[in-house]
Amino acid sequence: MNNYLEKLPLFVDQIRSIRETIISNIVLIGQIPAPTFKEQDRAKIFLERLADFQVDECTTDGYQNPIGIIRGTNSARPPIFIVAHLDTFFGKNVDHNYIIREKSITGAGILENSVSVGVLASLPEIFRKLNLRFESDIVLAGIVQSIGKGNLRGIRHLLKSWPTPIRGGICVEGCELGRLNYYSDGMIRCNLDCNISSHTSWKHHFRPNAILVINEVVNQILKMRLPQRPRSRVIFGKISGGIKHGLIAHDGKLGFEIQSTSDTMVKSMMNEISDIISGVSHEYGVDLKLKAISNLSASKIKYNHPLVKNAVAVMEKFGIKPVSEPSVSELSIFLARNIPAVTLGLTKGKNYHFENSRMIIEPLFKGIAQVIGVIMAIDSGVCDE
Amino acid sequence: MIVVFVMNSNWLKNKTFHFSEFRDLNKLVKEKERKNLTISLCLPTLNEEKTIAKEIIIMKSELMMRYPLLDEIVVIDSGSKDKTVDIALSYGADVYNADDILPDLEKYKGKGENLWKALYVTKGDILVYIDADIKNIHHRFVYALLGPLILNDEIKYSKAFYDRPIATGLNSMRPTGGGRVTELVIRPLFSLFFPELTQIMQPLSGEYAGYRELLEKIPFPIGYGIETSMILDIYEKWGLDVIAQVDLEKRVHRNQDTKALGRMSFVILKTFFDRLEKLGLFENKKEMFNEMIQYNLVKNNYEAAIYTFEGLERPPMVEIQQYREKFNLC
Repeated sequence: MNNYLEKLPLFVDQIRSIRETIISNIVLIGQIPAPTFKEQDRAKIFLERLADFQVDECTTDGYQNPIGIIRGTNSARPPIFIVAHLDTFFGKNVDHNYIIREKSITGAGILENSVSVGVLASLPEIFRKLNLRFESDIVLAGIVQSIGKGNLRGIRHLLKSWPTPIRGGICVEGCELGRLNYYSDGMIRCNLDCNISSHTSWKHHFRPNAILVINEVVNQILKMRLPQRPRSRVIFGKISGGIKHGLIAHDGKLGFEIQSTSDTMVKSMMNEISDIISGVSHEYGVDLKLKAISNLSASKIKYNHPLVKNAVAVMEKFGIKPVSEPSVSELSIFLARNIPAVTLGLTKGKNYHFENSRMIIEPLFKGIAQVIGVIMAIDSGVCDE
Repeated sequence: MIVVFVMNSNWLKNKTFHFSEFRDLNKLVKEKERKNLTISLCLPTLNEEKTIAKEIIIMKSELMMRYPLLDEIVVIDSGSKDKTVDIALSYGADVYNADDILPDLEKYKGKGENLWKALYVTKGDILVYIDADIKNIHHRFVYALLGPLILNDEIKYSKAFYDRPIATGLNSMRPTGGGRVTELVIRPLFSLFFPELTQIMQPLSGEYAGYRELLEKIPFPIGYGIETSMILDIYEKWGLDVIAQVDLEKRVHRNQDTKALGRMSFVILKTFFDRLEKLGLFENKKEMFNEMIQYNLVKNNYEAAIYTFEGLERPPMVEIQQYREKFNLC
């Protein structure tokens, strides 16, 4: 293991020496809008770039995930997967043209997750530059239908339909360098819609206000007794409703996630919240619709798993302090299928989810070297036990 | 009397290309090397800090590091007040202040001036000129212009055309627009005097490439008139068949307000009529004025804003002694 660890710091300068190619890939792919369910233009460019870099096999799976395979030296070894989701939060009408300055790149979706897709497309050239060959095939996959309502469909299909065992996986995210995810919580993501008929109705002596109805639901959820263990929580992430200041709101929407380290707890909380919503609906005489749009099972590898230990060692070699939190991402699908995997962040930045999202260029080279270190660790057998 | 012009319509068919015809960069590089050509990319700049890095990085990566099509990337700056120069230097372009090139000559400011001076500082047999404000820059902007020049011995000058969505500044795109000066000014003028040239879809596009042996032999207006005069001069000296046009599909650029386009049109009209006179195609019995007058409403009063256009132009570079010495033309 120490063999490759010693080489890693030397990689950073060599990776930096082809920064124009890496940045070009980030920009040329990232400037193609890719809202969830409409990623195909970006997928096409991603595949074109992989083919242009002479990747051995370039194809798409049955779910239109674009995939490049760099053949390894030992066909007996299962492949190593490096994945990054292609989709972003931004619609096609948003200006995706990036601005590059001396130290940064700014634009919609750059951190979530265009930088990662661009780096994936650059890895074949980086491997050549570093003169690296691996025993395992390296599968570079851009993942479609991942975020929000995509509900990780792309990665679910890719892993489910892959015909061979998989040696290990690395999920690449733009931010933040130091991120090391190796476990994911159980999760159900829900939308709650409140609609009140605008027609006068005999049963409403006073017409209810959708915002106040949703407020009542939130208050009752907050009163739920959640255990310290298994660690559980409800996150209220989105809210909208109403038309104007002086008009009673006829509609309201709430988006929230139930998260827990226990799947049983997630189900139990979901049942309790459904009861709350039924009660409020009855009490206020309004139509409340609860819809689960996404769900994940809790899964993890342990901190002392060789993959995690080696990932930590790689990061520390670069002076990067690992920070671990539960992840709701492609990682959970790997782990649910008992494939050892981690999620790594590539660089630093700000305005993560905004149109003026900005990534800092210099830390990226260390971030890429770190990914390569973890690939080398997997190729040396840390996931084979 | 109705004057009917018989158009050389073969030109549109034979000399109009799509960028995808030149995607095989290995083929271009091979042919470039076989012909022992050198190629220079020139980016004229004035306060382009938002776009210059992207242009340099993509061209350097794709057309120098990966496919050695370009031999140099040169930025000629007109005195930017923002960080254009620092950014261009940090990404490895050769950067020149226009005033420092041929310093013994009188100094002028303008895009045409920068392009003219690029002839002196670059070494390529072919020069590619690309505007520095393109938001969706892609290396096709360069390789597609080079394709006809490298692969076709007859073609000596290539010109870009494209759809032109405009960035509105509200972080959203309008699907159509732009090209207003082309349709309202240039195309009517070409139709009146040079109908063959109407086949050039976007004569004002800021992206074109040409052999030095042509570019050094034509005068360069120092400002906006450069694109118009370049086409007219090449057409008059060498004919339409040395010119090609290439569809680059989409180009996103900054929008300009109507008054700015009015000033641009004024310069182009002046350049055009000057050329007509030189060519003996038009006799102007009264000297034209050189001031464009526009009006602004200021505190309920109309105030005139006067824009003066001197109509200055540089002579063919080949007539400059320092150039002849540098390129051993004495």
